[in-house]
Amino acid sequence: MEDAPKLVAEDITMRFDDTLAVRDASIEVRHGEFVSIVGPSGCGKSTLFNVVSGLLAPTSGRVLIDGRDVTGSTGHVGYMLQKDLLVPWRTVVGNIVLGAALTRGVTERDEAEARELGDRYGLAGFLDHYPHALSGGMRQRVALMRTLAVHRDVLLLDEPFGALDSQTRLSMQQWLLEVWDELDRTVLFVTHDVDEAIFVSDRVLVMSPRPGRVAAEVDVPLERPRHLEMLTGAAFMERKRRILGLLYGQGAA
Amino acid sequence: MSWRRALRLATPVLAVLGVFVVWDLLVRILDVQPYVLPSPWDSLRAIRDDWGTIGPYTWTTVVETVLGFVTGAVVGFVLAVAMSRSPFVQRVVYPVLVGSQAIPIVAIGFPLVLLLGYGLLPKVSIVAFIVFFPVVVNVLDGLASVDRDLLNLARVMDGRPARVFLLIELPATYTPLFSALKLGATYAVTGAILGEWIATKTRGLGNYLLVQNSRLNTDAVYGAVLLLTAIGISGFLLVVLAERLATPWRTRSTARRWRARSAGSSLSGGVPVQEDEDGQIEGGRP
Repeated sequence: MEDAPKLVAEDITMRFDDTLAVRDASIEVRHGEFVSIVGPSGCGKSTLFNVVSGLLAPTSGRVLIDGRDVTGSTGHVGYMLQKDLLVPWRTVVGNIVLGAALTRGVTERDEAEARELGDRYGLAGFLDHYPHALSGGMRQRVALMRTLAVHRDVLLLDEPFGALDSQTRLSMQQWLLEVWDELDRTVLFVTHDVDEAIFVSDRVLVMSPRPGRVAAEVDVPLERPRHLEMLTGAAFMERKRRILGLLYGQGAA
Repeated sequence: MSWRRALRLATPVLAVLGVFVVWDLLVRILDVQPYVLPSPWDSLRAIRDDWGTIGPYTWTTVVETVLGFVTGAVVGFVLAVAMSRSPFVQRVVYPVLVGSQAIPIVAIGFPLVLLLGYGLLPKVSIVAFIVFFPVVVNVLDGLASVDRDLLNLARVMDGRPARVFLLIELPATYTPLFSALKLGATYAVTGAILGEWIATKTRGLGNYLLVQNSRLNTDAVYGAVLLLTAIGISGFLLVVLAERLATPWRTRSTARRWRARSAGSSLSGGVPVQEDEDGQIEGGRP
């Protein structure tokens, strides 16, 4: 089953009363793949995410993880939003182990693992700090560590760096790729930022305006690890032109 | 302790002394008669001279205040949590609670005594009645302030409802709860006096005030008022202290360490990093 897709969203349609938010959206992500979704605002990206995470049951369609139908049920993916949603009264370590704390209780192993994750990925020296003492970038690191610590193969990241300034965002993208490279997770990543989408992804899915569906797919065959110089290379620019064209240029066509 | 910090701690005490000095100066300069406004020192002397009576009376009032305060806080908190669990309960109970606060306690003394008697019960009830309402309102606000997305995140993690409540919703009520309790600590004293005026059989400062009022013992009246003020301030300070202990994340950047961590953990050999300005609470901790 090597080639079986890790995550499948099959013909997802989501209707809220009179509004059709998503129509027949289909996504397939292979194990270990990094796939981004870009689209105009209000195209239903976040709705699609909430369906995949199990927070919303779709009007029609199915969600499969490792071939198992998990439509409308939670607990199968790691999930991270633009808001870091750190719990103010828990320290960095306390926030990283939140998943365990809310389900079965935190063990010494959970805590040791959280400390190791934090130490390894740029939070050393801040493990016992409360979130209010951290910068925006640090807080997002904690949020990602928390997402990793729930041990799900599939990570849904919904504009995780959207609230950061552009320099911090660039360093966070590189950092995310480093984490992803070492930890063998499958990532579905939503962003507004086309540069960001190309820089981090193996494939970029372009969604149409509402009702959202996946209108096109752009492969990004840039080698890994990715470097900042790639951002201005010809291959990168060519993809960017295509995606921008899909998003804005040929909107009427 | 640096002298800056000593000064900061001493400031409130100096402020109270300042009030006494101004009071004293007013009495002297305007040449007020002692039966109209006694000097602060006369008032304090009245407390000392009558300590055999006023001491036990003060204790009674303290007991009523504390019992009523705790009862009101607990009832208010439990009510708020129950109301937050069910929108239906909230819709039914909230208007009743709001209405209850319009009842003029002073004016219904007679039926209140018939209902609750002359003992400790009416005093504790009145204090609790005054304290519980701000607690309900603030705790409800605290519970409603929890970010929906955080609750969604907890759902995606498959969090158990009881744990989500304990770890995410409950702590969100602490800050508004303590705001309500600070108000309550001062209102509670007034409530106890009110109770003692309505049901006059117990020997508390309210009764003492009634007696001294009728005798025109102004210095004893002011003495009793000073004691009431002291009770109110002490209660307030205790709430502030409890708040500091219960919500360390608001004043500190790192967690307090109650137990030793294994060596090799990050921060400078296990010593808490002290970046907050008022770190005195953990001064003597191992």
